[in-house]
Amino acid sequence: MSATDRADVDEPTGPAASHPAERDTTPALGTRGEPGRWQRAVAGARVALHKRGFADGRWSFLYGRDTEYGAERADPEAVADAARRARKGSVPDLVQGPVMNPAVWTWEVPLYFWFGGIAAGSSFVALACDLSGDHRSARIARMVAVGALMPSPPLLVMDLGRPERFYNMLRIFKPRSPMSMGAWCLSLFGGLGSAAVGADLIGRKREARALGGANAIVGGYLGSYTGVLLASTAVPLWARSRMFLGPIFITTAAATGAAATRLVLVAAGLPEGHRTRHALGRVESAAIAVELGLSTWNERRLGDIGDALERGRAGKLFRFAKWSVRTGLALRVLRPRLGSNVHHVASALYLGGGLGFRYAWVAAGKESATDDRAVARMARDNG
Amino acid sequence: MSATVRAPRSERSVRRDAERVGFFTDTTVCIGCKACEVACKQWNDLTADGGELVGGGSYDHTRRLSASTWRHVRFIENPALPTAAVSAGDGLPDLVDMAIDAATPLESWLFMSDVCKHCTNAGCMDACPTGAIIRTEFDTVVIQADVCNGCGYCIPSCPFGVPDRDPVDGRAAKCTLCYDRLEDGLEPACAKACPTDSILFGPYDELLEIAQRRVTRLHERGIESAYLYGAGDPPEASLAGGLGAFFLLTEKPERYGLPAQADSPIQENVVPATWAAVGAGMLAAAGVAAAFVVRPASVGRRDRVRARLWQEGRR
Repeated sequence: MSATDRADVDEPTGPAASHPAERDTTPALGTRGEPGRWQRAVAGARVALHKRGFADGRWSFLYGRDTEYGAERADPEAVADAARRARKGSVPDLVQGPVMNPAVWTWEVPLYFWFGGIAAGSSFVALACDLSGDHRSARIARMVAVGALMPSPPLLVMDLGRPERFYNMLRIFKPRSPMSMGAWCLSLFGGLGSAAVGADLIGRKREARALGGANAIVGGYLGSYTGVLLASTAVPLWARSRMFLGPIFITTAAATGAAATRLVLVAAGLPEGHRTRHALGRVESAAIAVELGLSTWNERRLGDIGDALERGRAGKLFRFAKWSVRTGLALRVLRPRLGSNVHHVASALYLGGGLGFRYAWVAAGKESATDDRAVARMARDNG
Repeated sequence: MSATVRAPRSERSVRRDAERVGFFTDTTVCIGCKACEVACKQWNDLTADGGELVGGGSYDHTRRLSASTWRHVRFIENPALPTAAVSAGDGLPDLVDMAIDAATPLESWLFMSDVCKHCTNAGCMDACPTGAIIRTEFDTVVIQADVCNGCGYCIPSCPFGVPDRDPVDGRAAKCTLCYDRLEDGLEPACAKACPTDSILFGPYDELLEIAQRRVTRLHERGIESAYLYGAGDPPEASLAGGLGAFFLLTEKPERYGLPAQADSPIQENVVPATWAAVGAGMLAAAGVAAAFVVRPASVGRRDRVRARLWQEGRR
């Protein structure tokens, strides 16, 4: 392409634009397209301005001109002792972080925790309804479980950095990784739940009940593995709550699942005074009371590391969640005086509070990971 | 103790005779030139960090390891008085205050070229649900960019804050110990670029021997506080089973933003946490069932009729 041809093109694009034809690209040495060859003008000559060794070393009282220092013979015992001295004892006054990186998960993940929890809780309810002989409610609870599960895969896929590669989650089965186990558990729960609802629809009652029962067992992991997922990280708040996060998450799951199923059943016409309605009310309130108790106990024993649950956005969410469920509990206690609609308000408050707890735990983990002193102190305490 | 700490053989698949290699970073000879950072960025085609200095008057402008910074030279401005001249909030000493106020001088200025530790018990690798993070034949830990789907679980699972998710690219990224260069018999770009050989690359056993001789020499010269971070420890005191990239430090580890103890958080926590969670899950399912099986104190005739109507689908 000649220079006159290119003048006609307004915006030159492609390789011709960056390598004009008139530029001389003949190599300084050798032949174009072949490795360059060169030799020194004088054998053994030094490269101009090059200095051997690191010259600034001569200013050092330690090294002289030499950065390749070292004793003739190492003393591994003394070296290990020195490391032990430095890594024992208390955290120094100055901690220059960041020590670790906070999780990068955004709003999708806690919302998934909430939906997954509702699905797990509804699967418990379906099994319980079947056991008590209320098969119509069980059928509806199985639908609630599948309905609550539906938004979960899209939410998890959206949170990925590369959503189009979501299927890589099912590339391997890795019992060590809670995330891998969770992906498999979610798939199994979705399969069993859909099969149960399908069996209901074609009238295979016995199969539907068996599948629903199996799903309640899978639900036991689906509702609690999210706690294990957080507890198995280096985040001080999460790791220090390792024996509590699973139980806390499963009680939230049971409460929100029962509350959602209860509201759906009432909308479907489950009459007032029916024992399923009573039982669901008891389950919600008991589960959320246990959740509150476990959270408070956990916060007390965490000490300073638990401060992440009180500061900033996480603190606001946590307080909102706690007061929501406390209000719900109070309404349940006062119900005889306030009428039956208050019951539904309490269920809605449990659902809202459960959502608040999910967001609060994820937000507090990010807060905790950026608290360099907390991270450093947890590491010292582990030693 | 000089025997190489190695990951279980089952974690390595090819070239089983390859040696464990690593980095030994001697902070006492680091001059803070950041040549390693630049060399790493050039070789691995990573974006620049910009030229703004971090708050509090430190001359560091990179601040942290990230998806686009796989080597980071940390600047530690060490005041003579431990709590003096610390600017509010970020915990960093204020250099301007130290210069103005003779009562709180700068005692020492430390540089530490931080990098992925290539742990024997790698938390990121334990966490990875896709199998994207692997252990290579050199016992290094590498994220396979063509498998990673950016779930982000490796990020809080690393006690050293190494992996990070690139907001533009969407995948997790960290030091590969120049796996591509190792395959061709070249040393990693950072070690190649280091003008003072503060970063040494080599077979793990050789590096450990050099490192121990250096600590011994420093002890002889009166620097009693010199120690190795992540190597040469007895098994019960090892950091994450032993670090493939270890450091010679002279201050407590937290001054360099390193935890004093660390292990793969999954190996520490997942078993007890799972038992607690699954146990609670079974209890919760049983509790829900129990709440239904308990009969209410009085079931009237009206209630029984209602229940029958509900079952028959007639309200």
